[in-house]
Amino acid sequence: MFKFLFAVRKEGLLLIRDKAGLAILFLMPSFLIILMSLLQEVGWGSYVKESKVPILFVDNDRDSLSLKIRKGLNDSQFFTIIDSLGSAPLTKESAREAVKRGKYLIGIVIPKGITRSVRTNVRIMVAKTLAGFGLINPVMIKDIPFNAVDTVTIFFDPTIKPSFKNAVLSSIREYNYRNENEMVFRTFNQEMSKQFPMFKPPEINYNKGMEFKEVFPSERTIEKTPNTVQHNVPAWTIFSMFFIVIPLTSSLIQEREGGSLFRLLSLPIPYILVLLAKSAVYLVVCMIQCTLMILAGIYILPLFQVPMLVIGNQFFPLALMAFATSLAALGYGLMIGTLSTTHQQAAGFGSVSIIILAALGGIWVPIYLMPGIMRHIAIYSPFNWAISGFYSVFLRGGSFINILPEFFKLVAFFLGTVLITFVYRKFKSPIKK
Amino acid sequence: MVEQPFIRIQDLTKYYKGSSDPAIKSITLDIFKGEIFGLLGPNGAGKTTTISILCGLFPPTEGMITINGLDIKSDLQGIKRIIGVVPQEVALYPTLTAMENLTFFGNMYNLRGKVLREKIMERLIVFGLERFAKKKVDTFSGGMKRRLNLIAGLLHEPKVLFLDEPTVGIDVQSRIVILDYLKALNKQGTTIIYTSHYMEEAENLCSRVAIIDRGSIISIGNPKELVADHPEFKNLENLFLYLTGKELRD
Repeated sequence: MFKFLFAVRKEGLLLIRDKAGLAILFLMPSFLIILMSLLQEVGWGSYVKESKVPILFVDNDRDSLSLKIRKGLNDSQFFTIIDSLGSAPLTKESAREAVKRGKYLIGIVIPKGITRSVRTNVRIMVAKTLAGFGLINPVMIKDIPFNAVDTVTIFFDPTIKPSFKNAVLSSIREYNYRNENEMVFRTFNQEMSKQFPMFKPPEINYNKGMEFKEVFPSERTIEKTPNTVQHNVPAWTIFSMFFIVIPLTSSLIQEREGGSLFRLLSLPIPYILVLLAKSAVYLVVCMIQCTLMILAGIYILPLFQVPMLVIGNQFFPLALMAFATSLAALGYGLMIGTLSTTHQQAAGFGSVSIIILAALGGIWVPIYLMPGIMRHIAIYSPFNWAISGFYSVFLRGGSFINILPEFFKLVAFFLGTVLITFVYRKFKSPIKK
Repeated sequence: MVEQPFIRIQDLTKYYKGSSDPAIKSITLDIFKGEIFGLLGPNGAGKTTTISILCGLFPPTEGMITINGLDIKSDLQGIKRIIGVVPQEVALYPTLTAMENLTFFGNMYNLRGKVLREKIMERLIVFGLERFAKKKVDTFSGGMKRRLNLIAGLLHEPKVLFLDEPTVGIDVQSRIVILDYLKALNKQGTTIIYTSHYMEEAENLCSRVAIIDRGSIISIGNPKELVADHPEFKNLENLFLYLTGKELRD
């Protein structure tokens, strides 16, 4: 036990002597968290939040459909309607050109007479329906054809996110359906009034429909709407924690190349003691990193007008997840450091493999957005286990029981990588010939 | 009564993975307590491989080794407790001070506290490093590092000390201090196994030498007697060149 503590002391001294390395180890991840959260919040978050997206709106219709779409977009508070560029009113061509040049993301062109065409078709449809009930002479409407309805053209910038494009399309479709609904009801009312002049139809709000309430179920007593910070901080925290692989492998290879390992292996101590002492020190580093990044989410991000990270009161599950993630990162570092023969190999493979594992694990793109095969692969990424556990705590207020599956997977990953390290070391001596 | 060898090596063979040529083949050798035994040979002869196996860094492919009656296969930890190792490279942590390095290696041999501090200071004084005890090793000259490297291997007063080219690349003064200390240590009963490329040094220091080439011992004996047996060569270096040839080695 004493030997282990002395070895930990030596590793600690080695670490604190490298002041620049230490600063990088602790400051860079916090900087990464702040930067990525800001980018995500201000970048993608802006589409759905405070700063309105300008939409070019060419209204050649000037009737109820275009008015409804304009009002709907305006009322949504996500968009700003632009119907002129400079002093010139917008045309289909100028809108197309402006979107093509990347000046605007979206341009909507409502063709002339589209409301009239839709209205005529609604009347024909209502008349045909009433004729079916014998209220109108069917011969009168028998040969009246439906009008060809012009299309609403929407220009999209090629860089626009598909999800955002779909959201805009859905909104416009919704405004159109509402308008058509209203037309159908009004026309029915008018026709029925003609048939039964003694009755007066009641005034009805035709747009009164179903309402939705957004709920994010969690273990918390007060439900909190998730924001990008709740997603970003755990994601980039895990990403940064795994980068402990680089200094850890560097320390292992330095020991090997510098000759210290020769002496270490000749000491009357098991080599596992040396590795465990190293792991213990880097485990502390990982835990401090995690704490600093969470503190950055709580105290620094709000300084940039980004929502504060809410960690709730599940501190024990949070600490367990940080511990298990640190172990997984350390195990991976020990394995890479042992299997690599040079610094270049370790740094190159270590960093690139972390990026790949992070991408597979859903750090950058949520797993549900991945193609089928990727989703299957993702469930085997330690990043995915880590982020699922952290989400469980941050977003769902998960307790100790809720994070246990992820905790055990990460610990198993650590044990697996350590086992590979020892098996490899057993069969391949680290000492140069 | 016949003296029992302190180190017994029998039919020692080592093949490295992926190599069809053995690094050492069928080496049989007895080293006795209190000897300074030199392993001499050109580059790639098998000296470091032999020392590494004796220190338990990797297992032999074939053969048997006992040190002080302990079998290396069954009692490696016991052997590691009685041996000291001074590797060819300066096996120290450059960002730690001399004192921190020595304290760590001493701790690994169960040395602690005042006893350890006294041992460290005693040896630092002998090797003229006491003023640099609290200086980081990366500020040391090559000779100072070598001297510190030697101290790290003998803090625990091993019964047998393995030295792999301990005087390579250092100034004459450092070399003299190291060699004098080794002689003094040997007089106190420490068995020393030593590899070197310096034939004159080996001739003066060693009670016996083994000349190894291409993994085999090609000559063994007291250096002066070996030279005397070959009167056509005036010193060990000439004999060495005759036995191993002038061909360049990798």
